[in-house]
Amino acid sequence: MFTASKLQYDYGNRLYRLKERKTEQTKEKIKLFGHMNEDDYGSVPPPADFKFVPEFNDKQNATFYGAKLWGENFRRLMEVHPIYIDPDDALAGRWMFILQRFRPFESVVSNKNLEMAPIFDYSYLKPNQEKYGLLPGIGKMHHFAPDYRIGLELGWPGLLEKIRNYKAACTPEQEEFYQAEENVLLGIMRWIARTVARIREMLPAQSDAAARRNLLEMAAVNESILSGPPKTFREVCQWMAWFNMANRTFNRAGAGCQLDTILWPYYEQDKKEGRLNDEDAEFILACLLLNDPIYYQIGGPDEAGKDMTNLLSFLILEAAHDVKTSVNITMRVHDGLDERLFRRGLEILIEDKKAYPRFSGDKALVSGFMKNGYSAELARERIAVGCNWMSLPGCEFSMSDLVKINFAKVFEVAFYEYGDNGRCSTEALFQLFTTHLQKAIHCIAEGIDFHLRNQYKNAPELLLNLCCYGPIEKGLDASNGGLEYYDIAVDGAALATVADSFAALEQRIEKDKLLTWAQCREAVQHNFEGPEGARIRCILSSTDKYGHGNSLADQWAVRVAKLFTELITSSRTPDGYLMIPGLFSWANTIEFGKEVGATPNGRYRGEPISQGANPNPGFRKDGAFTAMAKAIASVQPGYGNTAPFQLELNPTIIDTENAIDNIEAIIKTHFNMGGTLLNINVVDAEQIRQAYKNPQQFPDLIVRVTGFTAYFAALSPGFQKLIMDRIVTDQ
Amino acid sequence: MLEVYIIVIGLIFDIERFSTKDGPGIRTVVFFKGCNMNCYWCHNPEGISRAPELKFDAKKCIGCMACFRVCKNHAHRTDDDIVHTINRSACTRCFSCADACFSGALEVVGRKMTIDGVFAAVAEDTAFYEQTNGGVTLSGGEVMLQADFACELLMRCREARIHTAIETNLTASWKSYCKILPYTDLMMVDIKSMDDAAHMAATGISNKRILENIRFLASSGVPFIVRTPVIPGFSDRVENIGPIAAFVSSLKTARYYELLSYNPLGVSKAEMIGRSQKNLGSVTRETMKKLADCANQWNIRVYMDGQHIKQ
Repeated sequence: MFTASKLQYDYGNRLYRLKERKTEQTKEKIKLFGHMNEDDYGSVPPPADFKFVPEFNDKQNATFYGAKLWGENFRRLMEVHPIYIDPDDALAGRWMFILQRFRPFESVVSNKNLEMAPIFDYSYLKPNQEKYGLLPGIGKMHHFAPDYRIGLELGWPGLLEKIRNYKAACTPEQEEFYQAEENVLLGIMRWIARTVARIREMLPAQSDAAARRNLLEMAAVNESILSGPPKTFREVCQWMAWFNMANRTFNRAGAGCQLDTILWPYYEQDKKEGRLNDEDAEFILACLLLNDPIYYQIGGPDEAGKDMTNLLSFLILEAAHDVKTSVNITMRVHDGLDERLFRRGLEILIEDKKAYPRFSGDKALVSGFMKNGYSAELARERIAVGCNWMSLPGCEFSMSDLVKINFAKVFEVAFYEYGDNGRCSTEALFQLFTTHLQKAIHCIAEGIDFHLRNQYKNAPELLLNLCCYGPIEKGLDASNGGLEYYDIAVDGAALATVADSFAALEQRIEKDKLLTWAQCREAVQHNFEGPEGARIRCILSSTDKYGHGNSLADQWAVRVAKLFTELITSSRTPDGYLMIPGLFSWANTIEFGKEVGATPNGRYRGEPISQGANPNPGFRKDGAFTAMAKAIASVQPGYGNTAPFQLELNPTIIDTENAIDNIEAIIKTHFNMGGTLLNINVVDAEQIRQAYKNPQQFPDLIVRVTGFTAYFAALSPGFQKLIMDRIVTDQ
Repeated sequence: MLEVYIIVIGLIFDIERFSTKDGPGIRTVVFFKGCNMNCYWCHNPEGISRAPELKFDAKKCIGCMACFRVCKNHAHRTDDDIVHTINRSACTRCFSCADACFSGALEVVGRKMTIDGVFAAVAEDTAFYEQTNGGVTLSGGEVMLQADFACELLMRCREARIHTAIETNLTASWKSYCKILPYTDLMMVDIKSMDDAAHMAATGISNKRILENIRFLASSGVPFIVRTPVIPGFSDRVENIGPIAAFVSSLKTARYYELLSYNPLGVSKAEMIGRSQKNLGSVTRETMKKLADCANQWNIRVYMDGQHIKQ
């Protein structure tokens, strides 16, 4: 932990200033862009007079597609990208733009972003996509993990040389691809070179000796990585920062890596040669985390199952503890995890209250992924590098967190198709739900095939290709067969909404005989309007919910989750791709809810659907975390992708003597029962209520919204309310 | 030979999972209905009466009038056609209105449960007890008013290796405690006041037997904790806490002595079941700290609302 009086280069003061600047930049971003219902990023607002216009080949829709224009536009952007140097920072650079969003862009949750350029027509899929409220992932980019080691071993010049070698020997069809890759690299290297030149320009005016020394080192570090692979700890971190910033600038890609093991050889070497001490390392790590909240992992088993925790794992945690901004670090919990690392992570979670670290359940993730026919060694390499993402670095095209099925919409289709012929039953309704879910999944599968056939022509992964095994060697984009594994993540959403609805109908109509199908249908159709509607809503919504424990709704949740899992895993897409089920709604809870009318669990028309695999707020009077942990463990699809447990921790549990023991118990027991990922917020109801009324008074309040963290003040009112309802009801 | 099975029934008013304040680790708390005391600050007033009661939360009423229609005693009223109230003296507690209410406004507090039913709820969180040395806590109300049920339940939990704890006012006969102690891992007992007259006035019961029982408990070998609710105007001064701490110190075997700050939760709960309870204000953190410091002078381990306060 840095204090102002500590050690050389006054790390304490530098960090303080860096954080102040970030707070100002965040405020400015909110002013400029309004609400941002997505990750807080390390981006900074661009200069007011900066203008960049990409070249379009589809001028009618103001978009561009294909390797040529993606490569050229990116290179041009890099060549004029503003330079950012902060003398307090150990690392140079900040990013400002997302090239992908220079194409048509409505919002991060919109289905109308034209991500697949209109020339690639999939209108034949649209009827079912609209009918079932599907997010097919067509045209979406990144959402899989690179292997940083490829880039670190070659360095920028090495990567460029590799591209040029393959380009020299390629077929005419592959030329566009390699030229685009070359453009990307030249652009990045130009950005770095311009930065070095600017640093040198700044030097004469820098009067403070320590700051001068830092700038000199910064210049040297960047010159070094322009001429060869990074060799020192600081060079590696600077290389990673550039790669991250380039990735963000290309298409917002933010998958990180197993940070502690990747950095270890450089750290060890530097320490041995006396170039680095732990305070230096911690400060550089803090700068890396401030640069961007990329998703990193620490701890966890190596291929053979041995725990990988090293000293860097602890330093990374301490660096996060220093910065106290938005940070996305996941700790891989397994039986062999270093207990001290685990407890230190919990201490920091409780003390900082910024929702990091979060925790992944290695046991279930590994055994689950193996069910697809993979080895344990391979399964252990798969890491959590996004909100709910699991991906094999450099070799798996996973489309994590991109493909979503809104169970509530599928339910609605079945519910209204289901006539009242006097012989109704929830069993028959479930059969109809099954039929429609099958159709929805088939549409999704066809969409995946369409995407994989066309994406390389639409928006190739020019950045991530560089750090993957195969694309450069084969001359094939990552989306087009360049990688070894294609395991497409398909997530279901609105589980609790649907489970509670089935249970409400079964309980009140069939068991209690208090209502008829006609009455329920009428009330739901009319959004529970009028006194009769209100009464029926009360009757339906007062049944026991999913999460209660041993309730009808718990049984329905397991049944729906099992059905979804079976349907996804029992067949591949028509083109033969594997699909892996998960349960996650990302930030789509509000949008998905808007598309669905009232539901029999008492939810009003247009209200948000339930979140991920969580029970609805208010599922138990005591809101017991133990009940939640068991419920969410019981619905895990279990094939290696996650169904995260979103846990809101309140001060009552934090303030007790054994808070850490108790939270540890929830985490470990949840994972022992099959859980896969825990996203934890530490916030109290009163603070959230205040922040909802006056978000600007809480500029440092950070919440984990779904898998990502964001400044509460930056979220839209709709999202702020969603989070407030979650926390206030549970408390 | 004829085998006779006796199914023991208990009257339970709540089962709360994931409690971290009623004993060590993660616990499930079973609340027994009925108490022989009548403390005017009770934060679980719905546990005092030994019979099921009608709870009415007016905020949840949606005005559907279903309760009006089924009430044979016309106990439900509206003042000026707006505010829904209940005439408690006309209410015979048939609970037909609660059966007809789905908004959650009318509920029956106190449900008959079998040992199997309660144990099933307790066993839900076994995996969590194991991780944290948690378990089940019997509370209420006063557990010993249903001593047979309590004993059966404790035996079941002990058989399942679930850690057992009891919160009791220690007013029952020591003989009856001897029956349950073999199955009890931890006793949590209250000393509200060393002044018998004050104790009687506040709770309706003398403290003589309580203090006697604590002495027996202290030499029984069963781990125990002594607690005092710090009540504004009653037990929030050093003159109240000092003598209690001295007494606890003389026992030599208490695990620790805990001060619990007054919880005004009982006020609204009391209103909902037709009782009246005064809000006694609040106890400041400074006061609590002062009292903890006073207790610490007696060479005993002192806790304050779940936190260990070092000397």
